[in-house]
Amino acid sequence: MNWVNYLKLLLLTSALSVQADPVIEQLKKLGSSDKDVRSVTLQEIANSGDQRMIPVLSDYRMGSLYLYEDNVVLGLDIFTNDDLDEFVPIADLFTREPLLQADGSAYLIPIEEIEIIEPSRKERKSVLEAITLLELSAPDNEQRLEAVRKTGLGDHSPILISKLRNLSESDPKRSIRKAADESSALLLLRFGTPAEQATAIEVLGKVRSVRSRSFLENLDRPDDPAVRKALKRITTKERQISTFNILNSGISSGSILVLMALGLAVTFGMMGIINMAHGEMMMIGAYTTYCMQELFKHTPESPNNIFFIVALPMAFLVSAMFGGLIEWTVVRRLYKRPLESLLATYGVGLILIQTTRLIFGDNRSCNTPTWLQGGVEIAEGMSLSFNRIFIFILCAVCVGGVVALMRYTTLGLKMRAVIQNRDMAASMGINTRMTDSFTFMLGSGLAGVAGYALTTIGGITPDMGQNYIVDSFLVVVTGGVGNLAGVVCSGMGLGLLNKFLEGTLFGAVWAKIIVLIVVIAFIQYKPSGLFAAKGRLADD
Amino acid sequence: MTNVQTGSGYYLGSLAGSSAKQLNKGFLGAILALACLLPMLATAGVISVETVNMAGRYMALAIVALGLDLIWGYTGILSLCQALFFAIGGYAMGIHLAQQGTLHNGIPEALYVVYPYKVGETRGMEVLPWFWAVFKSFNLTLVLGMLLPGLFAGLIGFLGFKSRVKGVYFSILTQALTVAAMMFFSKNEMKLCGTNGLTHFKTIAGYELSDPNVKIALYVVTLLCLVGSYVLCLAITRSRFGRVLLAVRDSETALRFAGYEPFAYKTAIFAFAGMLAGLAGMLYTPQANIMTPSYMEARWSILMVIWVAVGGRGTLCGAVVGALLINLLYSVLTSQWSIGSFDWKPEYWPIVLGLLFIVVVLALPNGVMGVWRKMVGKVTELD
Amino acid sequence: MDWITPDYPSENPAQNSLWDKKYLLFLTGVTAVFDGFKALDIDYFGIFHNELRVIIGPNGAGKSTMCDVITGKTRPTTGTVHYNGEEITKKSEAEIVRSGIGRKFQTPTVYDSLSVYQNMELSLPGPKGVWSALTARETKVERDKIMTLLERVRLLDDADTEARYLSHGQRQWLAISSLILSQPRLLLVDEPAAGLTDSETELTGELLLELKKDHTLIVIEHDMDFVRQLDSRVTVLCEGKSMAEGPLDEVKVNPDVIEAYLGR
Repeated sequence: MNWVNYLKLLLLTSALSVQADPVIEQLKKLGSSDKDVRSVTLQEIANSGDQRMIPVLSDYRMGSLYLYEDNVVLGLDIFTNDDLDEFVPIADLFTREPLLQADGSAYLIPIEEIEIIEPSRKERKSVLEAITLLELSAPDNEQRLEAVRKTGLGDHSPILISKLRNLSESDPKRSIRKAADESSALLLLRFGTPAEQATAIEVLGKVRSVRSRSFLENLDRPDDPAVRKALKRITTKERQISTFNILNSGISSGSILVLMALGLAVTFGMMGIINMAHGEMMMIGAYTTYCMQELFKHTPESPNNIFFIVALPMAFLVSAMFGGLIEWTVVRRLYKRPLESLLATYGVGLILIQTTRLIFGDNRSCNTPTWLQGGVEIAEGMSLSFNRIFIFILCAVCVGGVVALMRYTTLGLKMRAVIQNRDMAASMGINTRMTDSFTFMLGSGLAGVAGYALTTIGGITPDMGQNYIVDSFLVVVTGGVGNLAGVVCSGMGLGLLNKFLEGTLFGAVWAKIIVLIVVIAFIQYKPSGLFAAKGRLADD
Repeated sequence: MTNVQTGSGYYLGSLAGSSAKQLNKGFLGAILALACLLPMLATAGVISVETVNMAGRYMALAIVALGLDLIWGYTGILSLCQALFFAIGGYAMGIHLAQQGTLHNGIPEALYVVYPYKVGETRGMEVLPWFWAVFKSFNLTLVLGMLLPGLFAGLIGFLGFKSRVKGVYFSILTQALTVAAMMFFSKNEMKLCGTNGLTHFKTIAGYELSDPNVKIALYVVTLLCLVGSYVLCLAITRSRFGRVLLAVRDSETALRFAGYEPFAYKTAIFAFAGMLAGLAGMLYTPQANIMTPSYMEARWSILMVIWVAVGGRGTLCGAVVGALLINLLYSVLTSQWSIGSFDWKPEYWPIVLGLLFIVVVLALPNGVMGVWRKMVGKVTELD
Repeated sequence: MDWITPDYPSENPAQNSLWDKKYLLFLTGVTAVFDGFKALDIDYFGIFHNELRVIIGPNGAGKSTMCDVITGKTRPTTGTVHYNGEEITKKSEAEIVRSGIGRKFQTPTVYDSLSVYQNMELSLPGPKGVWSALTARETKVERDKIMTLLERVRLLDDADTEARYLSHGQRQWLAISSLILSQPRLLLVDEPAAGLTDSETELTGELLLELKKDHTLIVIEHDMDFVRQLDSRVTVLCEGKSMAEGPLDEVKVNPDVIEAYLGR
């Protein structure tokens, strides 16, 4: 060994000696040749609850820990040179960053010069157990719950069962106590004595463990009353979960339908204008949200959630502005010709779609703000995602807003007057042209808000509006034209019906076809919708 | 209460002056002469057979426009499911043609590649669905291709008009129906070849479809059908039936109080228009060599309406002219060309089409025929 | 002129067949309710054969609603309508028309894009089905009849004019003459004089009086001079109820009627 190598060694030792951690001493003991020392050490680590040790222990299990110069390091993938000599690049135990020499190059230790620390084949199982124990004592509630659930499906060991029992008695979180019961019962069901199995079956029935269904069925004891009772209770629970999920997705797709149809209820229901470009107003709302995201430089890596707050009024305003433009140039001339307004606004839609495509290209997506990611779990298997809750609330606020605007403001009063009797309203001094413009802008703006909401659940394409336009018209027609309560009922109803059919008997496409046919049949039966106007108002 | 007569002031009357009739005749004569000339030009080698084939497809589409003009221009019902009836006719012919092509174990190529196997089924266990077998006979296909859309249209019309679904409600309803039908046809399990549609055609009535002479023959057949449909539609509009249709458009209530059942007339004309659309679909499919569910998209139905609007609704001549004109425009504007330094891109076509929708509705309520009459009408007055 | 006093039944309305002999049209217990609002509430109302009856009443009294109920445009909430010994409550508009009840609306309904002659043609009596319409041609008798009627209402010169170019009065006459051409037994004429000049009104009155000879007529009218010209029995409707019935002079002095017209 020449002096340069000696110097390197000196530097290395000094670098490594910085990690003066009791953990290192413990890990060194794992490299001991005495079996009992190793076992006691492992138990000590497992009981320490030190979460940092979880990856270290898995590295230990995989045989990636090395003892080098009286220190414990992590060995990365072994490097082989042209002469087939093997070297181990080493890294820090906890950061997993490669250790660097003074000149910035990585350490490459010849494999002969380094001693591996690894468990014996027999010990590997207890390492896994130690990892699980560590996970079970995670301070974070979510992580602990996850670990408790995972344990039930893993390997059996008396230590884990006693740990689970411990958790089931003393854990502060109720959901974790319940999960611990379930998991220990699952373990006992799979590995326990017949007596333990019997108790486990009872417990699993009591907690209605959905996960245990396949294990209970695998027992192959269909005549056992205890098993049958447990399975029955589990079936009930499964029904509850699927009902919940149908309700959840139904209400959320219903809210989108209502949001979409709300704007149409204003333009079509109140003004009698068939605005085929309504879907494109939605698209504009979505693209406005996208532009805001770009403007505020919101990316998943560096979130800037303010963009989402700014985007709401912007989506409304920009869509309303476009709506105003369309009203002023096209729709205004077609108030007495609804069928022609359908054609002209379809043309407007074509132009908007293609222009957007030429400007933005085909597919864009918005990253939801961080506080809309994830969700809340109300019970096992039943979780609500934040973006759906958000859409529901947005929908409720919009409906409430429109109702309030119509009922309690002068503008709303004027709108209602113009809708009911244009000539009379004009002779009372109401500027009907302005009112029409405002009404149309309001409808378009609401579509923009719907587009804004849609960015949280899917991508943005220029022709996204086309997918919703027929549905929205059906919602308005089913609800009864000019009737907000009807729109809310039919939107929610159709959303739920669709998801119900989808969730129970049919696939998505069949569900959609059936819903369309149901609506068509319904309109046959009640041509003027759920909440129809009667008498003189009903004519033409 | 005022009786809203939707835009009645914007239609050309059915009984325009006799000079206008002469003009129509002149216009039609010119188109007809050109149409007859096309096959001759093709055999002489002046234009390609592909051009004749294209003209044949457009003439098939003009037949749909004729039917749509009867229900929209004359009767005032805006139907957005003509594309569906067109596609039903097209599928009837397509299913027949696909069975004349390559067969795998009795299964046509088009179905073979997307056959929906059930669990446990493997290649070689395909069964030809009964509704394919029905279309094995060419003659039966010809009958069913018109009868099925006609019956279906009759059913929709009966249900809708009986319960007095009208105006925009009927439009929305028919559009929803088309959307549902498109999803239905797109499903592989339906054994209608899914989104791929019907392809791999080889022969029609024993003749090779790729043969130029067969293409010209198909064109001639289409032209004859167009002329035949035109004459039939003309006869209908000139009868008292035609006047009842106009009366439906003007005031359905008044008609009801004159003792007529408007729904019967509406159903009848709707079914007739459905049959015309089916006929058009049957003529279109062998010339286009394909029929897919995309023909049932909403945009197709609306496009068909715009053909009639551009030509001038309420005139049969206008429907034909509009369909041919827009489709001609389509083939020019979806190809790449440049004038001087200006480069035209096919991407601009939807924008042009959109503008066309707006301009026709706002500025040209009587379409090209209206402009034509005004122009030529003034000239004749000066004479 | 001697007035027949109607003897509406006091209690048991089960003997409709008897009254049918007397009355061409009979309404019993008819109500029409829209969203809780009772637009029409008539216990008994009968029209004799070959009678001309004028119905008057303030705005919103239910005059048009009554016509709607008789002609099947509105289904009554309760009650029955008998016509010519037959219940027509549940029949469709076109069926009722074909059984002989004709109606002229408040705003004259003509087909704008058809010529005056074609408007008349569609009112010709005879089969109204789809197949017959495809082959139908007017006979010489029918053509002459149309021409005579058009001459009577001074529309002969405009026979080939599209109806949209007609004046308001001409439209009224076209609507009335179409109605006459269709040969109904009972005519419901809703405000025939509305918006007409004095001379036009006079001609309309003459037409109606001519019709009275061999038709039964119900005329709804506001114009009191016109009502006087018709010189016939009057029914006063108010808030959906039949308030008074009798000759105009008698009704005019009825205190209820005066109150209803002049306000509370």
